[in-house]
Amino acid sequence: MPFLKIFGFTFVCWVLILRASYGEDETVDFNRDVRPILSDRCFLCHGPDRASAEGKATDLRLDDRASAIEFGIFDFDNPTKSELIARVTSADLDSRMPPPDSQKHSLSGEEVKILSLWISEGAKYEKHWSYLFPQRPDLPEIKNPANFFNAIDAFVVDRLKLEDRKPAGVADRNALIRRVTFDLTGLPPSVTEIEAFVNDEDPLRVAYEKVVDRLLSSTHYGEQMARFWLDSARYADTSGYQYDRERKQWVWRDWVINAFNTNMPFDQFTIEQIAGDLLPEATDQTRLATGFNRNHPITIEGGVVDEEYRTEYVIDRVVTTSTVWLGQTFTCARCHDHKYDPVSQEDFYRFYAFFNNVPERGLNGFTPNLVVASPLDAAQEKWENQVAKLEEKLAELNTPINQWEIDVRKQVAKWKILPPVKVVSSGGATPKTMEDQSVLMVGKNPTKDDYEFVFKTEQSVAAIRLEAMVDPALVNGSASRGFNGNYVLSEFVVEVKSGDDASYEPVKIASASADYEQNRFTVDLTIDGRVDATGWAVDGNTRPDNRVAMYSLETPIPPGMAVRIKMLHRYGSSHQIGRFRISASATAPMVGPLEDLLAIDLANRSVDQTNQLRELLVIKFGSEEAREIVKELRFVRAELKKASIVPATMVMQEMPQPRPVFVLERGEYDKPIKERPVSPGLPAAIGALEVGGPQNRLGLAQWLVSSEQPLTARVTINRYWQRLFGVGIVKTSEDFGAQGEYPSHPDLLDWLAVEFMESGWDVKAILKTIVSSRTYMQSSRIAESDYQWDPENRFLARGPRVRLDAEEIRDNALAVSGLLDGKTGGASVYPYHPQGLWMEVNNRPGYSRAYPHQTRAEQLLRRTLYTFWKRTVPPPSMATFDAPSREYCVVRRSSTNTPLQALVMLHDPQFVEAARFLAKRMLDSAQPSVESRIAFGFKCCTSRDPTGAELKILVTAYQQRLDQYRTDLPAADQALGVGGIKITAVVDRAELAALTQVARMLMNLSEFLTKG
Amino acid sequence: MHPFDDYCQRQNRRQFLGASSRVGIGMAAFYSLMRSGKPLTAMDDQQKSLAISNGPGYGPGNPGPVHFPPTAKRVIYLCQSGAPSQIDTFDYKPTLSKLNGQNLPDSIRNGQRLTGMTSGQTKFPAAQSIAPFRQHGKSGQWISDLLPHHHKIADDICVINSMYTEAINHDPAITFFQTGHQQPGRPSIGAWTSYGLGSESENLPAYVVLLDKNSDPEAQPNYSRLWGSAFLPSNHQGVKLRSEGNPVLYLKDPTGGSLAQQRKMLDGIARLNDLHKQQVGDPEIDTRVAAYEMAYRMQTSVPDLTDISSEPESTFKLYGDDAKQPGTHAANCLLARRLAEKGVRFIQIYHRGWDHHSGLPSRHRKIAKEVDQGSAALVMDLKARGMLEDTLVIWGGEFGRTVYRQGGNESNFGRDHHPRCFSIWMAGGGIKQGYRHGETDDWCYNITRDPMHVHDLNATLLHTLGINHEALTYRFQGRDYRLTDVHGKVVQSILA
Repeated sequence: MPFLKIFGFTFVCWVLILRASYGEDETVDFNRDVRPILSDRCFLCHGPDRASAEGKATDLRLDDRASAIEFGIFDFDNPTKSELIARVTSADLDSRMPPPDSQKHSLSGEEVKILSLWISEGAKYEKHWSYLFPQRPDLPEIKNPANFFNAIDAFVVDRLKLEDRKPAGVADRNALIRRVTFDLTGLPPSVTEIEAFVNDEDPLRVAYEKVVDRLLSSTHYGEQMARFWLDSARYADTSGYQYDRERKQWVWRDWVINAFNTNMPFDQFTIEQIAGDLLPEATDQTRLATGFNRNHPITIEGGVVDEEYRTEYVIDRVVTTSTVWLGQTFTCARCHDHKYDPVSQEDFYRFYAFFNNVPERGLNGFTPNLVVASPLDAAQEKWENQVAKLEEKLAELNTPINQWEIDVRKQVAKWKILPPVKVVSSGGATPKTMEDQSVLMVGKNPTKDDYEFVFKTEQSVAAIRLEAMVDPALVNGSASRGFNGNYVLSEFVVEVKSGDDASYEPVKIASASADYEQNRFTVDLTIDGRVDATGWAVDGNTRPDNRVAMYSLETPIPPGMAVRIKMLHRYGSSHQIGRFRISASATAPMVGPLEDLLAIDLANRSVDQTNQLRELLVIKFGSEEAREIVKELRFVRAELKKASIVPATMVMQEMPQPRPVFVLERGEYDKPIKERPVSPGLPAAIGALEVGGPQNRLGLAQWLVSSEQPLTARVTINRYWQRLFGVGIVKTSEDFGAQGEYPSHPDLLDWLAVEFMESGWDVKAILKTIVSSRTYMQSSRIAESDYQWDPENRFLARGPRVRLDAEEIRDNALAVSGLLDGKTGGASVYPYHPQGLWMEVNNRPGYSRAYPHQTRAEQLLRRTLYTFWKRTVPPPSMATFDAPSREYCVVRRSSTNTPLQALVMLHDPQFVEAARFLAKRMLDSAQPSVESRIAFGFKCCTSRDPTGAELKILVTAYQQRLDQYRTDLPAADQALGVGGIKITAVVDRAELAALTQVARMLMNLSEFLTKG
Repeated sequence: MHPFDDYCQRQNRRQFLGASSRVGIGMAAFYSLMRSGKPLTAMDDQQKSLAISNGPGYGPGNPGPVHFPPTAKRVIYLCQSGAPSQIDTFDYKPTLSKLNGQNLPDSIRNGQRLTGMTSGQTKFPAAQSIAPFRQHGKSGQWISDLLPHHHKIADDICVINSMYTEAINHDPAITFFQTGHQQPGRPSIGAWTSYGLGSESENLPAYVVLLDKNSDPEAQPNYSRLWGSAFLPSNHQGVKLRSEGNPVLYLKDPTGGSLAQQRKMLDGIARLNDLHKQQVGDPEIDTRVAAYEMAYRMQTSVPDLTDISSEPESTFKLYGDDAKQPGTHAANCLLARRLAEKGVRFIQIYHRGWDHHSGLPSRHRKIAKEVDQGSAALVMDLKARGMLEDTLVIWGGEFGRTVYRQGGNESNFGRDHHPRCFSIWMAGGGIKQGYRHGETDDWCYNITRDPMHVHDLNATLLHTLGINHEALTYRFQGRDYRLTDVHGKVVQSILA
């Protein structure tokens, strides 16, 4: 079907098809038959735009009967002699309409006939069909009740009768459950679900209803509904322009999921999305909903003119809102009156005025915003549960925490200060011993200097402490002799000799630590064995303070030995420590958090500190099992902390004093036409705000879902239909104007719209009605001749057969492999992504960042709805399957079929990994034979059992692969090594690898990508 | 043909593709269609099926119809993102040496808006070119010493000194240049070309994008929308050929299977698909099989393409040693030539280091050195292979730079964005050689002769490909959109 989507003008032909099949006795229907011709060929110059015809002055308007009559273009007595007919059939290129240089087609014979017929019937005009309020039509008479499950079928079968066609049979249960499960949840049915339905002894419709009810109450239903809404709402996780940096708007996305899952009526949904902030009973949650109109891109480019971009944001809201709710192409009227629809440029700016009062800026316009928790808030709960579970597990291990604490306390270093008996400066500085046994260097101040500090051990020495101390006599009261107050200790050397005659031998230092380290001047550089300009520094120029470095020796120095410490300063610029003190300890120091925590009395420890201490002790002393639990616990605690931090969501807000609005000349921000001020309002042809009601966004929102409004219900229902059947009843789901397509089943559309409104805008109910129709439940199998008769299935003589959307394809793979993490809501995640994609497009230091590749299942295996969406680099496997960039509102995706899609399915690690896990499921399925295991995998992927021929191909492929891997186990390992989630304890690697290849074949079947 | 007949004909997909020259897919004008390349009927079924599914001009090896005889079969677009300074490269202004340091008169600036970066500046002292200009070739083309390799192609290129645009900042300006609209939402030039003309290659996409590795610390970002398809079917989006990892995303089998094994697997998949097709009758299944076949062909053709080891040493002499380093401008220029040889329709290269608001004299020199040899070599190489005559090469940024200094002093300064006049060059594909078009005033601030708008450039580009820019349209939201919106004039005076 994608083929036909390409031809913009196909809709005209569709109408002609409809027309042609009605026969000669049918009267002409203006909206169905005539308007499409006039609009497409004539309105560009003779339409609603009074400034039309650029230069070619004309006042004739063909959208207005009075004007047409005034110009005398109809001859009612002799229609074929009418000026209108004469001009569209003229052989003279100068007088022929449409003029050859307009790039418009000439009228066909059939079209001329329609116009003549129309004139002969009095050239009656009607308001455009979609502006007429829908009435509930009478149901056509049904002859064969077997073809009738509900009202929808009456309209469809009635239409088919005109074509002399009959509907197809009802699809088999396998196909049905696959179709409806994907449609309502975006996921495949599980084998258990399939079997339960297939084996359900209830009659089909009863059994089917149970399935539909189950699906509608699944949390995955809300996710699936939200996914489509995100395209309309051009939702993304980045801001779009220039460096396209991250924004956090996901709490709004969670609101949408929750609204669908709780089946919020669509009228309330609409009012809250557009004007939840203006409701008299507004809450944080209704304000949150208005993030809808803040999802547009926002620029951070330094040089922009603020007002230019602010104007673009407001225009984006006009375009998005008018497309999503009204199916109108207001965007055309930004620069001039609409060429086809009765929307003037004034109308555009009246609509614009609804959205122009946000206290926002163009550059970095990220406010106003609001910190509100996600209505799902499941993340926090989930992590809390996990913490509790892990705590429990840890408690079960009965770790002797108290004993460990006692043990570890013994290890705390007891420092003994060493008096400076002999201190030497190689550069000739003079050491001065201070009261606290520290040494202050005075006198000569060479550019570089080495100190020697000699002492004799009284007790065994396991660690040495160096204190660098500030002194008023030093530069700026720092601890340094350098001009700026900083020092660099290049190397710290400890030497020992056993007797007076022996020579000094170096002592190995096991580790060094310090309480402060300057960036790139860390203390470990003092024991790296390289005597150079690198070393330990402490930002002494900006942060002069006492600092401590500690050195643990590999083996303690016994008592009674002579020890020489060398402090080498080789940086230059006199970056020497100016005052220092040396201590020694018989026990090695513990450094870092453990020591800090032990220093806190038991009574004063917070819960957090107690936990931390316990976890540190487990890491130090615990069994491997306990250590693993603690590692997990630390991760989960960190996640919990993250989850409880809620980002601010951008929302709508109204300024107390609205900004004045003028028509903008050619739509340009800096050309307001001061003589043409406008106030908020609607195009007269479509409707008017309630008199006495609010004349602002709230008034607009209320009007959108009022019973006085012809478009919202039709447009919304049509999008649902498009989702379920591949093509809408109005194919141009984004355009219900004159250039849009006339509905294939106008009565059906109206019936559904009225049903939807009268149900109280009950979304689940209307979806249930549609999926319970026989029309939806038909088989999609088709003979080639039937296919050629109706390739797009516009007549609905068969069931829908549609390629899955990008997100559904990935979710399908995760689901059939059993990997899917079904968690709902929360911050966006980072699944597999090719290396380097973000930076290759955008790598400015300080502005750009690389894709944060993840290894944890929580990031890799969530539904695609939660994938982090960067507008300028959308996830490539999704873009390949026609997902939009989300830079602007999209209500209809293309559906292509390309080689790049094949490469994604074959080689994207996400799919290869899923295949491995599907293979594992096959192995674990408790099926007795290779055949039955493969058949199980086949069913996971296609929702049906394989035929014998199909199974044979797969089993043969399996055997070949198995033979290969048996003789080449490294190849099996490579095949099993793709992706980050490992299968531990593989019994037979060759078998798993061979099955993995079979699973890849299954996941590359056309059927895997299709709901049929 | 009447749309109705047209529709009936298309009801039968196969019949349609077997159908004749009247298949004016995607084009509103049916009357002057001509055909190029091999006949549609010669395509095998698989390719037909791909073409049908993915729209006009998609079938690999199947060029779409054109409106009149093309002078170019393909385009190589060397986009100098960030915006090179016309004053220092191609727009020779001898008067500026006298005006150097003088404040830009109000009479010249004429109240034009400035970016937020210099609108607060109180003085606008002019800065002359950072490099001397000389005449080159028989044509006496003026080119500055900043681009010495360009001196050798002086007689091949057509320099346009009178380009202008509407945007004053990078994102809207480059989006405008590549899609004809400042805001996101319109298809890129390459996507339009792919849509209208498709590929001549049976195993490569019609539209390929190469991103130069960036070396400037303030590099411009790129955006997928610059090679996106917007409302056109998404198969028309540009395919990135990457210098790291898989040259085309997901090209290699990560499980380490050989091509022979891949072949076997695809055969198995195809047989299964075929069995299912017999059951359900959905012709999309055949298309899927065809797509997998082309994917398989890409697995061999792309590595061949990117493997430059077969290039003789003379190639690297021409393009410079940079060409051995994947991701450099020179390497990408060389790849562009190889892609052109294989029938890729539209090849887009992005360099993005030209945005120098400070330190321009040294930074412009560095970037010019990165770009100069590869760009010039490409033209010489195409010429030597006889391909320049039907390959259109375009070189230019999204706007120009100001004659006045941004900050700094006489020897070290920046130049701000300048949309009111700038220079690009075009070569080959039916464009005049050794020619100069348009003129600017003594301050290099305003255009004084033959202004050429971005839409005019794009109209001319499509014209060389045999496409009437007013007739290559796609209906979206009730409107027949085109690359040039409702503007654009083919600049006849630069056509050879």
